[in-house]
Amino acid sequence: MSCSNLTMLVSSKPSLSDPSNLSFRSVLNPFQLPTQNPASCTPSRSSSTQIQCGLRELRTRIESVKNTQKITEAMKLVAAAKVRRAQEAVVNGRPFSETLVEVLYNINEQLQTEDVDIPLTKVRPVKKVALVVITGDRGLCGGFNNAIIKKAEARIRELKELGLQFTVISVGKKGNSYFIRRPYIPVDKFLEGGTLPTAKEAQAIADDVFSLFVSEEVDKVELLYTKFVSLVKSDPVIHTLLPLSPKGEICDINGVCVDAAEDEFFRLTTKEGKLTVERDVVRTKTIDFSPILQFEQDPVQILDALLPLYLNSQVLRALQESLASELAARMSAMSNATDNAIELKKNLSIVYNRERQAKITGEILEIVAGANALQ
Amino acid sequence: IREARDYDHWRSCLSTNSGQIGVLPNHAPIATVIDIGILRIHLKDQWLTMALMGGFARINNNEIIVLVNDAEKDSDIDPQDAQQTLEIAKANLNKAEGKRQTIEANLALRRARTRVEAINVIS
Repeated sequence: MSCSNLTMLVSSKPSLSDPSNLSFRSVLNPFQLPTQNPASCTPSRSSSTQIQCGLRELRTRIESVKNTQKITEAMKLVAAAKVRRAQEAVVNGRPFSETLVEVLYNINEQLQTEDVDIPLTKVRPVKKVALVVITGDRGLCGGFNNAIIKKAEARIRELKELGLQFTVISVGKKGNSYFIRRPYIPVDKFLEGGTLPTAKEAQAIADDVFSLFVSEEVDKVELLYTKFVSLVKSDPVIHTLLPLSPKGEICDINGVCVDAAEDEFFRLTTKEGKLTVERDVVRTKTIDFSPILQFEQDPVQILDALLPLYLNSQVLRALQESLASELAARMSAMSNATDNAIELKKNLSIVYNRERQAKITGEILEIVAGANALQ
Repeated sequence: IREARDYDHWRSCLSTNSGQIGVLPNHAPIATVIDIGILRIHLKDQWLTMALMGGFARINNNEIIVLVNDAEKDSDIDPQDAQQTLEIAKANLNKAEGKRQTIEANLALRRARTRVEAINVIS
């Protein structure tokens, strides 16, 4: 009679649900009790439950990683488009810079025999230095913001060792939040960075350093920003902004000067479907100064008016390079994140499939064992 | 860079450090400082007015090259905003303390006044 009962249960197995399955197992237990240790059933059941839960979590995780991958890929493409726009901004600013440098050069030729006394070029003994630190507004761009902040910290330590006073002008939200949390660093001003640098923003910074320098509150102004080198490399640099060299040179803190006429600009191109950057030195043709050119005012006055323009263009250039570096860093960071997401998704899929296969194999073994028990 | 070029029918007025100058066709080559002030260009029976925020201008071969930190067309300036900025700049100048703040306040006031003048130019 008991054998007949078991046969009926086996025949109805295809339509069993989980509770019925458990019921079947509990019925089976008394029959097998004399020949099998009942403790061995418990780990199997708990193991099955755990696998079931793990599979659901794995599936959710894979979906989550897939969504993250879409987001990072989109951010990468947006950053690439913005780098192109930043490049266009630099190119648009070129005629202004070149004409300015050329005019400065020509006027300096006429001033070679004169003793120039212009506030922005006055070299004083340095007692206090102003640091203009340019950072980004948002994160997700690798070590971009941290790199420039570390550079600023290193420079501050150097100034302390030299016994010089200093003050900071912070540009960009990341720098602002950093310096706000450190009251021991004196900050003259916090300035907001915009999405795309404009002459107005450069003007605000230039006005601030202009008044600091002319009122002799500081004796030197240094500009800390990230110089754009390529899509995969950018370099935090320090340039001396004030006092200006009358000949329009850019000097770093070691006194090494680079002629500003050697203007480089980067061009975003595609080689075999991949984004690359080429840096070119391009000369725009400009009209030669006429030998009969008259000066409405004394050349010194003209130089006095030109140097603030030059100061402004230097600040704008730094803002543009910093933005381009930030966008390139974000491109790289999001590209790496996308690659990591793809790899992670692959690994999780492998684990998921392995777990699923193990679960199915376990179920088949149970069925086979049950069938064997009937014989 | 702002360029105005029309050999037969153009005129312009510039505010320089030493006063306003008018430029007519075939003007002599000249280089001058541009003060914070108004630039007016007459081209094809129309006047274009712009507020300039200081810079440099060069006139050569019937061409004017104007390099400025900032420039605004009169049509781009909001009258109420400009007037309000002027009032704020005046108040700030009265409250300015120290050499540095005075310099800043003076510059802001001159800029604000120029923007107001650019709107109110009678042509």
